[in-house]
Amino acid sequence: MRPVGFSTSPNLVLRLPMWRSRLMLFLLFFVFMLLLIRAFWIQGPGNAFYEAKGIRGTQRELELPASRGKILDRNGQVIATSLEAKSVIAYNDTVPDDLAADKVKKLASLLQMSESELRKKLSEDRKQIFLKRQVEPAVAQQIKQLEIPGIGLNNEYRRFYPEGEAMAHVVGFTNVEDRGQEGMELSRENELAGHPGQRRVVVDRLGRVVDEMAILQLPQNGKDLNLSIDSKIQYLAYNAVKDAVEKHHAKAGGAVVLDTQTGEILALANYPSYNPNDRKYLTGEQLRNRVLTDTFEPGSTMKPFTIAIALEKGAIKPDSNMVIGAKYLIGPKPITDTHPYDSLTVAQVIQKSSNIGTAKIAMNNLSAEEMWDFYTAVGFGQAPKIGFPGAVAGTVHPFKKWMPTDQARIAFGYGISASLFQVARAYTVFARDGELVPLTIERSPEFKPGTRVLSAKTAIEMRTMLETVTEPGGTAIKAQAEGFRVGGKTGTAHKLVGKGYGNKYRAYFAGLAPISAPRIVVAVMIDEPTGGSHYGGDVAAPVFSTIVSETLNTLNVLPDSKVKQMVLQDKNPDEIRTANVQTQHVVLKR
Amino acid sequence: MNRATLTLLALLLICALSLVAAQQRARKLFIAQERAQIEERKLNQDWLRLEYEQRNLSKSARIRDVALKQLRMSPISPERTLYLKEAK
Repeated sequence: MRPVGFSTSPNLVLRLPMWRSRLMLFLLFFVFMLLLIRAFWIQGPGNAFYEAKGIRGTQRELELPASRGKILDRNGQVIATSLEAKSVIAYNDTVPDDLAADKVKKLASLLQMSESELRKKLSEDRKQIFLKRQVEPAVAQQIKQLEIPGIGLNNEYRRFYPEGEAMAHVVGFTNVEDRGQEGMELSRENELAGHPGQRRVVVDRLGRVVDEMAILQLPQNGKDLNLSIDSKIQYLAYNAVKDAVEKHHAKAGGAVVLDTQTGEILALANYPSYNPNDRKYLTGEQLRNRVLTDTFEPGSTMKPFTIAIALEKGAIKPDSNMVIGAKYLIGPKPITDTHPYDSLTVAQVIQKSSNIGTAKIAMNNLSAEEMWDFYTAVGFGQAPKIGFPGAVAGTVHPFKKWMPTDQARIAFGYGISASLFQVARAYTVFARDGELVPLTIERSPEFKPGTRVLSAKTAIEMRTMLETVTEPGGTAIKAQAEGFRVGGKTGTAHKLVGKGYGNKYRAYFAGLAPISAPRIVVAVMIDEPTGGSHYGGDVAAPVFSTIVSETLNTLNVLPDSKVKQMVLQDKNPDEIRTANVQTQHVVLKR
Repeated sequence: MNRATLTLLALLLICALSLVAAQQRARKLFIAQERAQIEERKLNQDWLRLEYEQRNLSKSARIRDVALKQLRMSPISPERTLYLKEAK
């Protein structure tokens, strides 16, 4: 038996079982390993998620605003510009959930929405949300002063059109996203649009930018656009059309003014119009640019072209005499004139606007092909290439389909269709001694060579005949403009209603001035005049007269007709020229 | 610790402090730059706004109205105009 020591009683010896300590060791090791693996995961492969979460809290991508280009008229006057407006954005992960009720109330009233609507927007599960766009700067300032975390203001632009109604159809307008919807805003969208940039920034708890990480994209401002339109001429043309439409209780009206030397469009007016500054009115009929998008039968304004072909061929001369009579039987319905004539010279056919005379000239001297060729050469049946949305081509049916009755009627402008703009363009042929001028709506004030479609002799002969239209005995004495010799052609066309011609008319006048050296072509259309006369010579010619005299005065064109001077008959111009401004005044007043 | 270690420690401290100072300075400059940019944009906008206002005051409709009603002017007509030719 083994002796047992007093102090070493086997009963007192505590012996831990080895497995327990090993288990503990293993467990501790295991937990530490887990932590280590987790740490490794967070630092290594799983890092992206946490990094993104960190960035979400402190970094933000902000837009660098780019402005849309301005639209300017030919004199550099602003006709469309973008001014800053603010958009209110909520960063929903930063906006505190327990936002004070009075702040919500104030914000809602500033944004002009109900509290419940605002709360609904703020609780949406989106990183950022637009609360309101294009807010007035003053309101934006008040929102900023509320100092609500996570409510930010972003810069935006809103478009303003200082000329309002007068220029509406030319410039068009943009939508709330600042994209062009109509007119030049639409057709030149690519050049005008700005391309916003983007940058990444670090923000603090209150959403203030404290550092910039990177510029992701540089902003690019839109280019300015210089139009050929003169706002002054545009305004007076618009006013003249508006007055005439109101005076004659008409449905609508339009006018176009072209510079014959440079091919620039100086004015393009439509009535009824709309105010592009007010979004409420940006729908419906008044948006139509009738000058370019409405086609009509040009009626008598077509006659000079038909007669010009016969003159060019040498088949007739301005003083050739011809028998007219009361009726011209061709096809099922005879052709008649408003006033019957026994005989007229070719020049008088134009002056009196004889349908029978024109039809006879066409049927006796011209083939359908010759007529079709010339009409097409002066731009009928083709959409004008001026980069305007919705410009129409009109119709000139293929000559092979023309029956003799068609040919006779097309000769005086029925059975084909064109826009007012096309008619105006075609008249540049007479203004430019037989050349058709390429037209542009962008400013380019240099002389443009044209395409010759007539000899200069024929064009000048036709100009002389067109002048007689505005002289006593002609159909448009009211087209006369003070101080300037003018020429042109009236047109009164029955409107097609359903399948036949109803009791509605369109009155036009297309002409040029001054006759001695034509500088402008003006075409006027008044749709459905109802009060009294519906003739082009009574309704449209006075508009032409107003536009011509005011435009030529604006362009500083010297009068070419004799005017009775009311001042200074006996003064020597040298005396005035050498006097200083104040004395000039006195000299002029005397 | 020997002298070299102490020197290095001091250098390290100076570097660390200057780093903090530089960062502070960078942040201040950044804020100043941001402010200047905002100011630039604001001035630019003011200019555009003024240009728009000037345009609004000088638009044809207003000029016509003022000329006819307030100043009692009448449109020019050739019979009351003396045309001077430029001296050659």
